[in-house]
Amino acid sequence: MGSSFANQAQPVPVPEDQSLSPQVNISGVGAATFNVAHSLASGGKTQAGMNFSDSALVVGAAQRLSTLSGIGSMGLGLLTLDDTVSGKASQLFLHQAFVDFQAERFEALIGRSDNPTAHVVDFPTIRGDDLVTLTNPLDPYSNGKNSEENRYSNVTSVTLNQGLQTFENFHAQHLIDSAGIGTEQGINSFGASFEYLGVPGMEPFSRVPSFGFGYEHFTTNSGGKSGLNQIYLGGVVNLNTSVTNRWDLRFQDVVGFGSGLWAFQSVTDSYQADSNSLAASLRYLSSPFGSPGYQLALTAAGKNYFKVDRSRSYGAALTGVKRLGQGFDLVAQYMGQYRDRALAVAQSSGIAYEQTFEVGFVFNFDTTLNLHLSPRRSILNQQHQYVPN
Amino acid sequence: MKKIDSPQSNPSETDSPLSRRHFISWAGAGTAAIGAGVLLGKTPSALASGVRDRSHVPSHPGVPPGWANAFQPSSTLPEFPVREAPKMGEKIHEFTIELGISVHEIVPGVKIHAFTYNGTYPGPEIRVPEGDWILCHFTNRTPEIHTIHWHGMILPNEMDGIPNGTQWGVGPGQTFNYLFRAQPAGTHFYHCHNMTNLHVQAGMFGALIVEPKEDLVKKVFSYTREYTLLLSEVDTVMVERQMEEMLKMMGTMEKMNDDPKLMKEMNGRMMGWFIDKKAFLKAVEEGYVPPYVSAQRGRSVAPNFNFFLINGKSYPMTEELHIRSGENIRVRLVGAGASPHFMHLHGHDFWHVCQDGTPLQSPVRLNTIPIFPGTTSDIIIQGTNPGMWHFHDHSDLASTNNGVFPGGMMTMLMYDDAEEKGVRVPEIVQVSS
Ligand SMILES: [Cu+2]
Repeated sequence: MGSSFANQAQPVPVPEDQSLSPQVNISGVGAATFNVAHSLASGGKTQAGMNFSDSALVVGAAQRLSTLSGIGSMGLGLLTLDDTVSGKASQLFLHQAFVDFQAERFEALIGRSDNPTAHVVDFPTIRGDDLVTLTNPLDPYSNGKNSEENRYSNVTSVTLNQGLQTFENFHAQHLIDSAGIGTEQGINSFGASFEYLGVPGMEPFSRVPSFGFGYEHFTTNSGGKSGLNQIYLGGVVNLNTSVTNRWDLRFQDVVGFGSGLWAFQSVTDSYQADSNSLAASLRYLSSPFGSPGYQLALTAAGKNYFKVDRSRSYGAALTGVKRLGQGFDLVAQYMGQYRDRALAVAQSSGIAYEQTFEVGFVFNFDTTLNLHLSPRRSILNQQHQYVPN
Repeated sequence: MKKIDSPQSNPSETDSPLSRRHFISWAGAGTAAIGAGVLLGKTPSALASGVRDRSHVPSHPGVPPGWANAFQPSSTLPEFPVREAPKMGEKIHEFTIELGISVHEIVPGVKIHAFTYNGTYPGPEIRVPEGDWILCHFTNRTPEIHTIHWHGMILPNEMDGIPNGTQWGVGPGQTFNYLFRAQPAGTHFYHCHNMTNLHVQAGMFGALIVEPKEDLVKKVFSYTREYTLLLSEVDTVMVERQMEEMLKMMGTMEKMNDDPKLMKEMNGRMMGWFIDKKAFLKAVEEGYVPPYVSAQRGRSVAPNFNFFLINGKSYPMTEELHIRSGENIRVRLVGAGASPHFMHLHGHDFWHVCQDGTPLQSPVRLNTIPIFPGTTSDIIIQGTNPGMWHFHDHSDLASTNNGVFPGGMMTMLMYDDAEEKGVRVPEIVQVSS
């Protein structure tokens, strides 16, 4: 009683926008394998176990913005880590936490997301961090315990594009500094990269559906004088033109220079020392009815250090994937990596040969609620006029 | 002639883009085919004799004086023989229509990619006198397959525009010449007949008005101004998604068609096309998963219309109808889309005078008229009540833009002389309730 007067005096809350709720995207990967690992150097010790690392869940939201004809979005994602990362505990790693703005000609992103140097080429192994020390530009601030530190970072980037086909990315990063080398949050790396992506959906018909290259500078000195540097380039080449029986080749080369290190005292040193890493992957994809049936891939990689002796490394993975249904795959992989003595001491507890055989399932899904935005890099947007829908 | 194949340089829709090149007075050329690609056979005598009797008979009681259109059991026989080529002295109206992909704005802030006949959504109005010939050069500048179906026309079977039915679909870069005599008279429309649901939503429809030799409606109601309102609706998300999917599919097919090896690879298996039931069952045995088997199709099966259009625009961007006190206006309503609409006029009754082009036996007095998909209704509004009056689909779902009232299939009947008649209603544009 007596409250009606007070209620009348209340301001009426006006919702900011009564018509549009954002598009919500939930995507995920479940990757679980039964592993048998064998290390020759430790007298034939064989271990079996389960690996469910690199499983991920990402939730995103996106909204068409009336001003500037753009799209605003955010993403938040978690990734499971190797059981071995910190002893027995299973851990989740925040690999996505970003806010992004896209307009026709540029995109700006701030937050935790893909390290712009690390995803020029994704090799067709089961997990993104398989053979990571050979197939990824490495984080010179990492203590080596969490391989995802090479793949994800805190990043601020601006990406320009021409016709949504060529992209120039300019970025500054705080690479995760688990080795405790520099400041906790400061910018410790910056660089630029170029990427070309062919017409979406038409990838099987172009000789080189995608390629890219870039330069990255790291502010840490690593015994040198003016910081570390990486130059990387990579791409995909179609070896034949086919839709049902496709052969393609992925390649990547990463050169690190500017370090004054002549020996490894730690894993981190092996991520910093001047080196060249070359990786390539030959893939056969069978799609008898126009959608994937099975895939076989051989990934091989090698790395040599310019100044550190007895530090060569080679690795290979033979990966088979059989699609059982919508996004659900049966996978099997043999993977082996060899390290010369000095590198083995730094990176693998002195073990020269590491081999793993694994078999399991991978489930990919991607679902969109309140669908009202189309993929930005569409043929319609690329070849006709850009519409931020 | 405006080229549509590069809409990037032609972002906005052009005005009056229909090139109505010229009248060909068909003198001295006999019955030679004029590039229409079709042999028109000789006229069956039964049809030739079915000429409509236009003699006036007494009107029904209560019908405006002069209305005369008694029941004639033979009158669906075409006025002119159908399977006949143009003769000497007959007029041929030549049109060029190019189909392209452009961007169409429904209301400010909402743009979609669209299939547009000559760059506009809907396509240009085609208007010819009854009995004259239409020769339409239709060129497809998109990667998809299209046709033009001449809805309501009584024409040779080969000109009906049904892909894989009466003709092969018009492929990328191809031209098809449609040739037929404009009959019967009245309000009609044309539209694509390939994947009709998507392609019409994407803009492939337009008005086709065949002017009668003798306009009974005009004779009785002596109108001066007339309007054509094409009613349709669109699921903007579906159109954007499916057009993109289609571009990828057609791009793939085009690449495959260019290459004998890929053609062999495709061998009917890629697109879900099989030569017969046996081939389909064999493919399933070998691992082909038909798209309907997937747990989730990934796209909505039925469209969820979010914009309701009059001539491609939603309120408040719809064009107003203008009238003066004492004036009659004719409004041609066309059900071009997939949903019925119930057009209601405030403050007035109106006369329903024609249905599907043909004058009714007697005009019907209404204030709400249902327009079903594929039908056309002509109405006469008489300027009897000055003001500014709503004219809208009374199925209220269609009075919204993206779920927000007011919007959609709504326009205004505006009296040019409202103020001098003492009615001062401000024109208020409202886009939010
Ligand atoms: Cu079409």
